[in-house]
Amino acid sequence: MADFISRISVVCFAASYAVALACEGSRLLFRSGIRGAVMVGFAAAGMIAHTLFLGWRAANEPAVPLSSAYDWYLLAAWLLAFGSLWLTVANPRTPTGLFMLPLVLGLIGAAEMSSRTPFPQSPATQVWGAIHGSFNLAASVAVAFGAIAGMMWLIQAGRLARKQAPAQGFRMPSLEKLARFTGRSATIAAWTAAAGFASGIVLNAVTSQQGLLESIPWNDPVILRMGGLVAWLITAACLERAASRRPDGPRTTALLSLVSLGVLTLSILWGLFGASRHGAPPRQAGPPQPTAAAAAMLADALPTATPPGPGVIR
Amino acid sequence: MTLAFVGGSHRTVPMELRERLAFSAEQAAEALRRFRERFPGREGVLLSTCNRVELYAASEHDSAPPAPRQLVDFLAECRGIDAALLTPVLAGENDQAAVHHLFSVASGLDSMVLGEPQIVAQVKQAWALAQEEKTAGPLTGGMFQAALRTAKRVATETAIGRERLSIPSVAVADFASGVFERFDDKRVLLVGAGKMAHETLRYLRDAGARDIVIVNRSMARAEDLAAKLGARAGRFSDLLDELVRADLVVSTTGATEPVVTLEMFTGAERRRGGRPLLVLDLAMPRDFDPRIGTRPGVWLYSIDDLGAACDANRKTRQREMPGALAIVEEETRRFMGDLHHRSSAPVIEQLRAGWTETGESELDRLFRRLPELDETARAEIRQSFQRYAAKLLHSPLTSLRNESHSGPPHGLLDALRRLFDLKD
Repeated sequence: MADFISRISVVCFAASYAVALACEGSRLLFRSGIRGAVMVGFAAAGMIAHTLFLGWRAANEPAVPLSSAYDWYLLAAWLLAFGSLWLTVANPRTPTGLFMLPLVLGLIGAAEMSSRTPFPQSPATQVWGAIHGSFNLAASVAVAFGAIAGMMWLIQAGRLARKQAPAQGFRMPSLEKLARFTGRSATIAAWTAAAGFASGIVLNAVTSQQGLLESIPWNDPVILRMGGLVAWLITAACLERAASRRPDGPRTTALLSLVSLGVLTLSILWGLFGASRHGAPPRQAGPPQPTAAAAAMLADALPTATPPGPGVIR
Repeated sequence: MTLAFVGGSHRTVPMELRERLAFSAEQAAEALRRFRERFPGREGVLLSTCNRVELYAASEHDSAPPAPRQLVDFLAECRGIDAALLTPVLAGENDQAAVHHLFSVASGLDSMVLGEPQIVAQVKQAWALAQEEKTAGPLTGGMFQAALRTAKRVATETAIGRERLSIPSVAVADFASGVFERFDDKRVLLVGAGKMAHETLRYLRDAGARDIVIVNRSMARAEDLAAKLGARAGRFSDLLDELVRADLVVSTTGATEPVVTLEMFTGAERRRGGRPLLVLDLAMPRDFDPRIGTRPGVWLYSIDDLGAACDANRKTRQREMPGALAIVEEETRRFMGDLHHRSSAPVIEQLRAGWTETGESELDRLFRRLPELDETARAEIRQSFQRYAAKLLHSPLTSLRNESHSGPPHGLLDALRRLFDLKD
């Protein structure tokens, strides 16, 4: 059994999700009595393989699931895939997977492009690191769910505005439900992103106190982009709250949710392709201490070894 | 000929004659009792709905089912109608055509509203009544079960019965349910008392709407209607206040000018707190100024908008017709193949019995000549004989079954009778 689990690769569950997505897409083309079962079957098979893969890594790698950018992306993909499967089973006539599975596959792709090197851990920073990573994960997943609900709202509103009956096999949830979901997601995303950022600052402060970090690297690109993301999510939540009592409030909320997903995507891409000292190994405590110039040289020499996690501030 | 039917529907029988020809449940039961007396040993099922009356008859054994002419006379006699009036408008079919017709009817392909699902229950009821009156039998049983199976396939494998066709059902299921998740916490405002409003309210009630206010120019009429529908009556002068509180409006007044203008609505809109408003304007001419539909958060549908959606749904159903017909054809072929294969059963039985008899006599002779064989050895030998006979029979039986798909296998049956000296 262990041998079987160890052979599960990212390709296994990514392929399962891709087949489930193709089944969802075929709703628009033709009717089928067995498509639902095939789609759920492939999505469930992907979930099982994904779960076993993460479980295997947790059991055999140090300090996963949030210890590297790679694991972070895979866990975010797992959460979205779980949500997709849940919603597909609960609402079989809604093509939820058509919206969610591309995000799942995108996150798996991002995982493949990101570093697998674990973030450096110490007993003092481990708890704050886990809190920081979990909040950022929750914020990202909330942004993704909110954007999907927002996109569905716009499609449903467009259909109702054109005064068309629902397309065959493409029945969306009601505007009321989607607007409520989008609004709540925006609020959750703002709170959890703020908490993630704050916990990152605490984490840096703890690291600094222990002499492992000279000072908090406020000008680090990751901190800057995370700060920007948090600022945007809080702004979006405030705008959403302000618009909620206006007749066009749901539309504003839906559009804001899509912008939030865009900002998050840019942030992830920046993390994947930009250089940063975020998550780099802290300097060793005690003498001999390297000079600031030597530390900078070391940082320049090690950009590829520093995993550009999507907001895991160390 | 084994199966026959005569009948007429909205397509061929004028409404006046259809009304006279229709059977109530009691009349249908009485007719089946008479059928049993008139045509002993024959099977009969009477399907009578508001749009069609059809009598299916079958005979499993050598005697043929009643001829269509006899069935027309029988129907005329049961309903006290001159048979000469029925003959030109009732159609009759035999065997495969009769089966195809029943399968089409059960699938809703011959209905006035294409793909309507009520016919399935009516076919089931007709079959149940025939069973109660003991006019049903294995042939009609097989045919009606296959018809219900066909109807189920058509319903699940095509979208022919999926799209809604009536304006109230489309208004609620396709549009109101697209805006609102639930209706039990929504205020429904009914303006006017048009007939379409009743039907729409029925769908809204089924969807959970409870808080309903009826506003009409005549307060007495509003109160009367409110009492009937379990709603609350409101004054027409309070229309704008009611509009502020409403989430969903159904409007069906007979007014010749808009009852709610854009200016009136803009005043009410400010007091609504940004809540979305769905307006089903089922009046002609329209009660709501169409420009109101351009306001954010307002979903306004006129009777023409809903009618266009119904037409689109009707076209969708029509597009499903070839797929549905293909299923009916396939199921008809399968049923007729099975039916034809049944006709070869006596020959197969004779063949099997003859071979078994010959085998048994050969075994007896063998066991007499070999008395030292114990019971285990005898059982083994007997089993080998049976397996051998079954294997020899397999090929002719397969050929018979294959031949049955294209009609009764008379040629093969005759060859078998002659080759193995089987008696009729």
